[in-house]
Amino acid sequence: MLKGIVLKIPSDGSVVESVQIFVEKIGITSGVSEEDATGLSIAVMEVVKNAMEHGNGGDPKKVVTIYIDAFPGRLQFLIDDCGTWQPDADLGHEPGEGEALISRRGRGVLIARNLARWLDYGLNPEGKTRATLIWPLS
Amino acid sequence: MKIKEEIKDGIKVIRLSGKVISGPDLMDLKTVFQTSINNDMGNVLLDLGHVAWMDSSGLGVLVSGHTSLAREGGRMAILNATKKINELFIITKLITIFETFTSEDEALASLKE
Repeated sequence: MLKGIVLKIPSDGSVVESVQIFVEKIGITSGVSEEDATGLSIAVMEVVKNAMEHGNGGDPKKVVTIYIDAFPGRLQFLIDDCGTWQPDADLGHEPGEGEALISRRGRGVLIARNLARWLDYGLNPEGKTRATLIWPLS
Repeated sequence: MKIKEEIKDGIKVIRLSGKVISGPDLMDLKTVFQTSINNDMGNVLLDLGHVAWMDSSGLGVLVSGHTSLAREGGRMAILNATKKINELFIITKLITIFETFTSEDEALASLKE
């Protein structure tokens, strides 16, 4: 069972693809089907991209840290950025209407919420923003 | 992601396959939309029949293609979105702005109107 994997990545869009492939492999290693592992990696990377953009302001010197742990029946991803932002209560719950529908704001979190079984935002012990994403294992 | 382009009945048809997700391939798709506009091929049929996955970046390129074409008086129709992609359109409500078809002939006829 996978335990204590920590990834520290710069807030640089060019690393997204390789991290996504890594997350997909973590899923497959943990027993997620190949098809679902792509969904898992998309969900995780939507949250990571959000952390890069909103938490770290796209500054490549600021890192996003991903803590990965497997527990019986679930994979847990903790995704920390360097900010202290609190998502709006409606972020990633409703796609909006009219112009908001066209805007890309919140679309990634909305997709992550729908792919993963659990996604929540809070603060880590250092007071920085932390997203918790849970993926069930059958 | 693979991109194939063809002209059918005077309409630009773009066929995508694989994963439409973050990465350099998305720039190629943006360029395809822009080239269509530059070449006065404002009506575009986007075939998603072989697209396995799409993320918010992929959706963003589709939305941007849709709005760019519309701004120039053109239209984008989507063909054969798989169940998974259609669900994505539903949860993001983009289903309300995209024209979707399951028949290529009907889609082409609509775009020629």
